[in-house]
Amino acid sequence: MIDVCNLTKCYGSHPGVENISFRLNDGEMVGLLGSNGAGKSTIMKMMAGYMMPLSGSIKINGFDMLEDFRKATACIGFMPEICPLYPDMEVGDYLKFAAVIKGVGKKEIKAEVDRVSGLADIRDVQDRLIANLSKGYRQRVGLAQALLKNPEFLILDEPTAGLDPRQITEVRDLLKGIAATHTILISSHILSEIVQTCERVIIIDHGKLVADDTIGNLKKKGRNAGCFILRTSADAEMIRNILKAVPEITDVLKISDADQNEKCSVICTDTDDIRSEAVRLLSENGIEVYEIYRPEISLEQIFLELTKG
Amino acid sequence: MQFYFETPFGYFFTGIFLILSGITFTLFNLMQGSSSLAGMFDLMKNFMFIVIPVLTMKMFAEERKNGTERFLLTSALTEFKIVMGKFLAALTLFLSALAVTLIYVIIIARYGYADAASITVSYIGFILLGMSMTAVCTFTASFAESQVTSAIISFGVLFLMVTLTSFTGTVKIPVLTKILTVFAITRYYDDFTLGMLSAGPVLYYFGVTAVCLYMTVKNLEYRRFR
Repeated sequence: MIDVCNLTKCYGSHPGVENISFRLNDGEMVGLLGSNGAGKSTIMKMMAGYMMPLSGSIKINGFDMLEDFRKATACIGFMPEICPLYPDMEVGDYLKFAAVIKGVGKKEIKAEVDRVSGLADIRDVQDRLIANLSKGYRQRVGLAQALLKNPEFLILDEPTAGLDPRQITEVRDLLKGIAATHTILISSHILSEIVQTCERVIIIDHGKLVADDTIGNLKKKGRNAGCFILRTSADAEMIRNILKAVPEITDVLKISDADQNEKCSVICTDTDDIRSEAVRLLSENGIEVYEIYRPEISLEQIFLELTKG
Repeated sequence: MQFYFETPFGYFFTGIFLILSGITFTLFNLMQGSSSLAGMFDLMKNFMFIVIPVLTMKMFAEERKNGTERFLLTSALTEFKIVMGKFLAALTLFLSALAVTLIYVIIIARYGYADAASITVSYIGFILLGMSMTAVCTFTASFAESQVTSAIISFGVLFLMVTLTSFTGTVKIPVLTKILTVFAITRYYDDFTLGMLSAGPVLYYFGVTAVCLYMTVKNLEYRRFR
């Protein structure tokens, strides 16, 4: 378990991260979201031990980062945003070097390098210079070094950055495959990736924590939860006049969908579903209802809503 | 070490070092018929403030540029091991280049009289000087984010330390001269030039090395809190 408590870090007088607290339970895969400069990488660097907080604490399996630094960081595998690679080294030599400095036993190095190379699918480039690798392969080498010594916790900063869709799928499948035996914290700008891989997200905005919840809960809490979409034979003005009889309905707005069909967005308070009441009233007034549904709230909308301020 | 010998850098450095040593050997030994290497090394020490910063300029700057500093500092390596590893790699390259100059000893032995004791003391003194300068440049390089900045800072600091030797030799201000003498890194080299191996200069150069490496370790530790 990783316990982050009141974490604060300043860059000069500028606060990078302020009073961030969250917990990563064993076996979780959690997404860390935020705009550029929100503080995601700062949090990850502190959790990996590269940087120390100004105040607050990070405890990894009960070991405090400041007091038991070596024990705390021993179970962390960290992949920073810029993959830590030596361009003049071959892939195989780099992974062997990484294994040595991470404390892998001499006799186990070869097997361990082979294991992570297989996981990251880089067995075929062991003899190639890192400088000559594509961006995708470099990301995979960076991921492979993070997997060395099979750390309990993986902290991955933008692991799919710069990868093509096929490679993103492969990395996603890899992470899903190891998720059962690892606790993983991933940061990404690609929200769809987070939705597909993580069950929980932590959203950071301007150094502050604005959300820490499962994706399902966040969608329920989203502002448009009190809303449904209508496509009818009448215009928005007429519908507004009819539905004002329903006290839970606060507004009716005219919208268009992707196919330019005119629809209405009916805003209501987040109470019991009043769609049946609305349909009944419209039918009584001779209006045909072609379509009625609750809109699917995307994580992107939730993210934009939470980080707009 | 791999960086130094699997890229052109190591060979480039060795080449420059041998050109300088070759010129000084020619001037002091071949043209003047001297069998002592003291003069060669005495002149060589004045080039060291250019040569050693080149050796150390990539030490930390390249790691920071590649993002591999994070890799090292989040590994099982302590800051001490990281610093010692880098220092010893640079020192090994310096010693490798210096080892090639043993050919001059062979030339002197072949065509003149090679005083083993004098030559040994000259080499020991030059190695100690190179070691301490490498340690100074390791410390200054630990502050730099770019190679150019690293080289300039190291060059400036070493130049100042070399210049202080002349300054403290001619200007006598009570207390201040004594304090500045501590930083006059080539001042204690004179004994080796005269063929004397005494404890004072040896301890001085080991002391400078130890202090600079200690401060480098502390600087790396401090950087985590920045």
